[in-house]
Amino acid sequence: MAKRPRKSRSAKPDTFLQRVAALKPRLYAFLLDWGSWGYIAYCFMYLLNRYWYVRHVNFYGTLAVPAWAWPIVVVGTLELAVLSHAFGHSVGLSLFGLKLFGPDYRASSWQVRLRRYLWWHLALPLQALSLRKAHPKGLLVHDVRSESRMLVVADIQEELPVVKPRKWYLTHRGLMTVALIGLTFWLGWMTTQINLGTLFGRASKSAYLWKALVTPDFEHFVTPDPQLRDSIMGGILESIYMALLATLLGGVIAFPLSFLGARNIMGFSRAGWLVFSLTRGFFNIFRSIESILWAVVFAVWVGFGPFAGVLALTLHTIAALGKLYSEQVESIDPGPLEAIAATGARRWQVVLYGVIPQIVPSYLAFTLYRWDINVRMSTVIALVGGGGIGRILFYYKNEVGRLSNAWNQVGAVIVVIVAVVWFLDYISGRIREKIT
Amino acid sequence: MKDRYYAGFMTDKPTWSEGLAAFRKQALVLIADIIALIYLWFMVSYTWNYFAHHTRSFATLPWWVMLIVVVEAAALWQNYGVSIGMKLVGQRLVDSAGRRISPDKRALRFLLWHLTPLAIISLAITTEWKPWHDRVTELTMVGSDRVELAPRPWYRCSWSIAVVLICLSTLIAAMLITRVDLHALFSQASKTRRIWGQVVRPDWSLLGKGVRLLLVTVFMAFVATLFGVVVAAPLSFLAARNLTQGLVGRTVYTIVRVTMSIVRSIEPIIWAIIFVVWVRLGAFPGVLALFVHSVADLTKLYSERLESIDPGPVEAIRATGANRFQVILYGVVPQIINPYLSFTLYRWDINVRMATIIGIVGGGGIGQSLIQYTRVWDWSAATVMMLLIMVVVWLMDYTSSRLRARLG
Repeated sequence: MAKRPRKSRSAKPDTFLQRVAALKPRLYAFLLDWGSWGYIAYCFMYLLNRYWYVRHVNFYGTLAVPAWAWPIVVVGTLELAVLSHAFGHSVGLSLFGLKLFGPDYRASSWQVRLRRYLWWHLALPLQALSLRKAHPKGLLVHDVRSESRMLVVADIQEELPVVKPRKWYLTHRGLMTVALIGLTFWLGWMTTQINLGTLFGRASKSAYLWKALVTPDFEHFVTPDPQLRDSIMGGILESIYMALLATLLGGVIAFPLSFLGARNIMGFSRAGWLVFSLTRGFFNIFRSIESILWAVVFAVWVGFGPFAGVLALTLHTIAALGKLYSEQVESIDPGPLEAIAATGARRWQVVLYGVIPQIVPSYLAFTLYRWDINVRMSTVIALVGGGGIGRILFYYKNEVGRLSNAWNQVGAVIVVIVAVVWFLDYISGRIREKIT
Repeated sequence: MKDRYYAGFMTDKPTWSEGLAAFRKQALVLIADIIALIYLWFMVSYTWNYFAHHTRSFATLPWWVMLIVVVEAAALWQNYGVSIGMKLVGQRLVDSAGRRISPDKRALRFLLWHLTPLAIISLAITTEWKPWHDRVTELTMVGSDRVELAPRPWYRCSWSIAVVLICLSTLIAAMLITRVDLHALFSQASKTRRIWGQVVRPDWSLLGKGVRLLLVTVFMAFVATLFGVVVAAPLSFLAARNLTQGLVGRTVYTIVRVTMSIVRSIEPIIWAIIFVVWVRLGAFPGVLALFVHSVADLTKLYSERLESIDPGPVEAIRATGANRFQVILYGVVPQIINPYLSFTLYRWDINVRMATIIGIVGGGGIGQSLIQYTRVWDWSAATVMMLLIMVVVWLMDYTSSRLRARLG
C-alpha cells in the first residue's frame, strides 16, 4: 500500500461515528447487490412457475418456496453478492463509486480476491466483537487480511494508472444491468398481460369506437340531458370551479403550514424538529394517497356530489402544495434574513419581511400549476362520486347499450375536456413564465 | 433633380399601421371590459337565481338584453373611470389640451362613442384613428406611461373594485356550483365512523396478495415508461422548433405538437376506458393508457429541453462537415442525455401513481382490488392496499428525486 497522504474523509476516520459513516457507501452498495441478486432469484422462481410448474404440474397452483428453503435463498443470494463484490465490479459498487484495489492501486490477483471472499465470512462477527477498537483507517478484517482495499474512486482519481476499460459486455456490472433490465422487461410483459394479438386483432372491432369519438354529438352541450339533468357546459363549469375552490382553500391552508415544514425556519431545537417532522410526515402521507381515494371517503361523509370532490382535492392540494412551498422556503437566500434578524426583529417579523417577499412569485407559480393539475383531476373524480364533468362522461359511457349515440356523446365530452385543459394549461404556462 | 422622381416619392408614406395600432388598442380595451362584465353578469345571475328562485341557472334576462346592457356599461365605464380593460392594456383617457375633463364632456364622448362603427370607415380613408367622439370632445386614450398622475389608493379605483367584485362573486358562485355544504361536513362525520373503525384494524392476511398486485402495478408503470421512452425520444426531435426547419419540417412539427397536446389533455383514466373497450379488462389496457399518455407527456418535456440546447457545439460540429445525423449524435445527444434520464425517472414516478388509480376503471393492478374492497365496504383490506401503495409511492418519490438531483 502506497503511503501517500490522502485528503478523503473515508481514508482517516478519527471518531467512531466517522468510522461508521465511512463504511456507509460500502454497506449501501452491498445491500443493493444483495437486493438485485434476490430480485434475480424472484424472477427465476416466477419464470419457473410460468414455463414449467403451471404447464406441466398444476395449472391452478403456484410453486412456492418451502419454509425450509428460505434460509438457502437468503444465504445463497448473500454469497452471490459477496462473490460479486470480491471478484468483479458489481452494480452497487459502481453506483456508489467504489472499487476494489490491491497494493499500489493495481487490480488484485484472484488469490487475493479469494482470500478476501473467505475472510469476509469472519469479518462481521469479529468486527461486532470489537467495533470500537476497529482499524484506525476504518478497514474491516477482510480488508486487512487480504491486503486489498475498497476505495472511493473519486478520492484517488489523479493517482490511478490509466487503464483501458473493458468492453461493457465483458464486465460483471454490464452483464448484470442487462440481466436486470431484461428480466424486468420479460416479467413486466407477462404480468401486465401484454397481448399484441388482441391489440391488433380487435382493432377493427374498436373502429366504431374511434369513428364515434371523432364525430362528437354536441346535442347536450348547453341543453340539459333530461335523464342526467345536466349539460356538458354545466359539468365543465362545475369541474373548473371545483378545482378553483380546492386550489384556493388548499393554498390558503398550505401557506402557514409550509413554514412549519421548513427546516431553516423551524430551527434545530427539539420542539422545532418535532413540529417540522410532524408537518412533513403529514404532507408525505396525504400526498401519497391520490385524491380519488379521498373522494371515496368524502362521498360517504358529505354525500355524492361536487362538494365531496372539492374536499378530496383540497386535502391532496394541501399536502402537495405544502411540500412544494416548504421546499421553496428552505431554498431561500439567507442573507436578507440575517440582515433583518440583526436589526433585532422577532421571528415572525423575519418571516414577514425576509421570507415572504422572496417566496411569493414561486408560490403563485406553484399554485397555478396545482390548479392545472386539479382541473385535470376534477374531470375524472366523478368516477367515485366526486361530481364534475366526469359524471356526464361516465353516464354516457355506461349508457352505451341503451343509447345508440352514447360514444358520440362521450366524444363531445372529451372534446370539451381537451379544449378546457389545453386552454388552462396554456394560460397558466404563460403566466408562470411571466412570474418566475 | 427633383423631376426625375415620381410625385409620391418625396411625400411621406401613409402610416396605416399607426392608425390600426391605436384602433387595435381601443378594441382590445372594449373586448376586455365586455368579457369582464359578462363574466360578472353570469356570476351574479347564478347567485341571484339560486337565492331568489332556488334554481341553478346562469340565465336571467334574454341574451340580447344582457349584451346591450354590458356594452353600454363598458362604454360608460371607459368614459367615467379607469376600466379593467384600460388597466390591462395600459390606457388612460386624457384631454389633448391637458385640461381637467368635465363630466359633460365625458357624457358627450359616451354618446358619440356609439358612432364608432362609422368611424372605422374613416380609418380606411385617413389612415389615422381619430373617431368622432375623440375629435369632438378633444379627449383621447393614450398609453398610461405617458400620463403622470398621483396613484389613487386601490379602494378608490373602479377597476380594482371590479376585480374585488369579480373575485367575490366567483367565490360565492363557486361555492354554490360545487354545492358546498358545511352542515354536512360537520354534522355527518359519524357516517364515516365505520370506515375509520376498520382502517385502524388492517387485514394483514392480504399482505402477500397485495405485494403481488403491487408488483403488477410497478411493472405496468415500468413497461409503459420504457415503451414511452422508445417512442417519445425520436418523436421529440420532430417536435423541437429549432431542429425542424423548412416547410416539411414545420408541418411535421405542428402535427406532432398538436397531436401530443391533445393526447396529453386526456387523463390516463379516460384513455383506460377507451382501451378497456378495445382490449378488454386487465392490466394490458392500463399499460396502454399509461403508455399513450407517457408518450405525449415525455415528447413535450423532451422537445422543450431540445429547444433550449446550446447551439455552440452543434454549429461547431456542423462546421467540420458532419451530416445531419452526425450533428445530432455528437452535438445534440450529449447535451440532452441527463435531462432525458431525469424526465424519464420523473415520468416513471408519475406512472406508478397513475397505475394505482387506473385500476378503478378496470386497468388491473393493486388499484383495481383497492377500489373493489371499498365498493364492498371492506376497509380493513383496503387499508393494507393503501399502505402498500403509500410505501411504494414514497419509495419511488424519494429514490427518483435523489437520482434526479444527482443527474442535475
